[in-house]
Amino acid sequence: MMTSLGRGIATGYLIFVALGLIIAFGVLWSTKAGRRDKGQGVDIERAERAEPWWGVFVVVLLAILLGLTIWRAPWFSEDDSPKDVQVKVTGMQFGFLVQPTTVRVGQHVEFNVASKDVNHAMGLYNPEGQMIMNVEAVPGYTTSRSYLFTEPGSYTIRCLEFCGYQHHKMIYPAFQVTA
Amino acid sequence: MTTTTLPPAPAGALPYDDSEMPLALVQAKTRRFVLRVIWTSSAFLVIAGILGLLLRLRQGEVITLGDNFWYAIMTAHGLGAFVAWAGFFLMGITFWVLMKVGFPLRSFVLPEVMYWSMVLGVVGIVLTTLLAGFAGSWVFLYPLPFFSAGQWSDTVTGVFAFSVLLAGVSILAYCAAVLHTTISPALKATKDTLGQRIALAFGFGLLFPSRFKTTRGKEPYPVLPFAVNAVDMFLATLPFALLLVFEIIQSTGRGFSINVLLAGNLLWAFGHPVVYLLLFPAAATYYYLIPRYAGRELVAGKAVAVAWLIALTMNLFVWAHHLYMNYPDGQNVQQSLGTIMQPTTYALVLPSALSLYSIAATIWRSNFQWNVASKFLVAGIVSWLVAGLQGVINATAAFQETLHNTLWIVGHFHNMAFLNMGLLIFGAMYAFLPELMGKPWWNERLGSWHLWGTIIGAYGWVTCQMIQGLEGAPRRWAVLPDQYLTLTHVSLGFLALLVAAQLVFAYNLWTTLRKSPFDDPSAVQVRGGTQA
Ligand code: HEM
Ligand SMILES: [Cu+2]
Ligand SMILES: [Cu+2]
Repeated sequence: MMTSLGRGIATGYLIFVALGLIIAFGVLWSTKAGRRDKGQGVDIERAERAEPWWGVFVVVLLAILLGLTIWRAPWFSEDDSPKDVQVKVTGMQFGFLVQPTTVRVGQHVEFNVASKDVNHAMGLYNPEGQMIMNVEAVPGYTTSRSYLFTEPGSYTIRCLEFCGYQHHKMIYPAFQVTA
Repeated sequence: MTTTTLPPAPAGALPYDDSEMPLALVQAKTRRFVLRVIWTSSAFLVIAGILGLLLRLRQGEVITLGDNFWYAIMTAHGLGAFVAWAGFFLMGITFWVLMKVGFPLRSFVLPEVMYWSMVLGVVGIVLTTLLAGFAGSWVFLYPLPFFSAGQWSDTVTGVFAFSVLLAGVSILAYCAAVLHTTISPALKATKDTLGQRIALAFGFGLLFPSRFKTTRGKEPYPVLPFAVNAVDMFLATLPFALLLVFEIIQSTGRGFSINVLLAGNLLWAFGHPVVYLLLFPAAATYYYLIPRYAGRELVAGKAVAVAWLIALTMNLFVWAHHLYMNYPDGQNVQQSLGTIMQPTTYALVLPSALSLYSIAATIWRSNFQWNVASKFLVAGIVSWLVAGLQGVINATAAFQETLHNTLWIVGHFHNMAFLNMGLLIFGAMYAFLPELMGKPWWNERLGSWHLWGTIIGAYGWVTCQMIQGLEGAPRRWAVLPDQYLTLTHVSLGFLALLVAAQLVFAYNLWTTLRKSPFDDPSAVQVRGGTQA
């Protein structure tokens, strides 16, 4: 099951793919015998002159996307306000140390993610199996990311950065969020 | 029997030019060299493809493989498919396209270095992974090569790093050969200084025709992406070579180690541009072939020259988009890099967007010649658009939290590498092999089966991976959580179709080599040892 962000991404993506395909098929259709240029119809110079405007159009679209999204980059999303609980998550080949192992719904939790050996990542999955958080564990550093739990249940942590031959067994099965 | 021959060059295109070697000799030698690269890289595709299939079969729980072996296969598959097949093929075909637009090779020393260091490097990679168990993934994120959990020794890491370094040497030799070929007398600069040549090669003659004059008319557009790629890959491979040398030293046990974040940055300062080692030569080949089939010159003005200058500069300043999720507390530099490199990555969309416009305008209402080769090319171009849209999504840091290191990424780069560059490679084989081998394809109809089997099979497969990724399926997991099994099985069905289509292609190629009659007698001696 996708998260709402995942669904949003998929929807936006499909809209643009559909638009792109419509244009692409229009272009291909124009090479059919009846529609071909017989030597007078296509103004190549005009197409060349219009190209910079297409570039401007793309830049404007991207600038809008940049303005809408850059503020939501994960490193901007953290505030300095005091959190209710700190949970230390330490990755090592091939498991996670999690302390404490239980928090309560409504608590604003700050995860402090670290690693003892190689790069790992904390992928946090909610009881429905959706991935709700993805933080790299870089050896020698701590990375903090906070989350407000609204739903009780048993959460799973999976390693999302390739860390060796037991990477797919690097699972912390039951991080508890109690009501 | 076949319509896959290339139509004649449109009026105004430049004929083959003189060079420092007699024309016929260069032509024959280039032909032999390019054919050798095509056959070798195709053999690497067979190996890499089988390895990829094994990976997915294990994920689908159809077969079992030892855990470390799965990751060793994954490592070999990634490097094999990306560098040894697609990269190597495009490096080889570069010299054919350049020759055809009037830039013949001026020396075969560098191409030979490119060829042999790649072959040796690939052999080393295959041995260290599949036999010696190196399984650090194709990016072998530091310090993983030195934390094998008992699966391989530091010595194996050293040999592996050395093998990758050889592939790096191959890329450096390629870049040098491309620059030697393009920044050359063939530009026909009116004032033939080095400065004029460099400016002309990078498109300044298109931008300021009165300051940078040549006697040969407009610079052929394919030269631009080739030259840009050569500069960027040269600059990008150096920091990576440094990282590899560090790792080789560390593997000898000198008590030496590198900062992890620095290593990540060095890796991706190369790892990003290496993606464009595939894309830019592919773009150049489209620029060459599409106008041939459309019967008019590429519709491209100054905008395209500007686009390639953007590519030249921005390509080197986007690497941190692979490190968006690395933002440790207090590491403000890394965080700022992420903030800066989202817009620079967006800027890098322009060369693609403008190329797609130019190609579309070239095809628009043209007398386009539809055959297997041109259909493969057009399908590849559509994938360029589709996978490019995914690229914009990936470039957006806020979305990465949902996508990073999931199968979405794997779906994305296969959509780009296989369905854009891969289809271009097949298209180029259909288009160029007749003139390279001196004989037509055996069977055009089989080409259509190849086309549709590949498109449907590959799109089905990458779409499954992208959906799995959006549902949170982690990447590089030998065994996926059960919730993803159904889609893995669906993708295996599509992969079966994909494999069947490649078998059709292999059969057609084999029969062409054995049975198709020569229509170009000068090729008989060229083919030499490739006769079965
Ligand atoms: C022929 C063109 C292909 C290219 C350029 C290519 C490229 C790559 C690359 C660069 C990787 C990343 C390796 C890594 O993450 O370490 C990869 C992974 C993978 N590829 Fe391919 N590949 C190709 C074909 C295939 C085929 C034909 C299959 C299946 C039959 C396949 C299945 C896979 C799988 C399962 C992975 C690992 C995914 C994971 O991270 O879990 N690939 N490929
Ligand atoms: Cu891991
Ligand atoms: Cu990149």
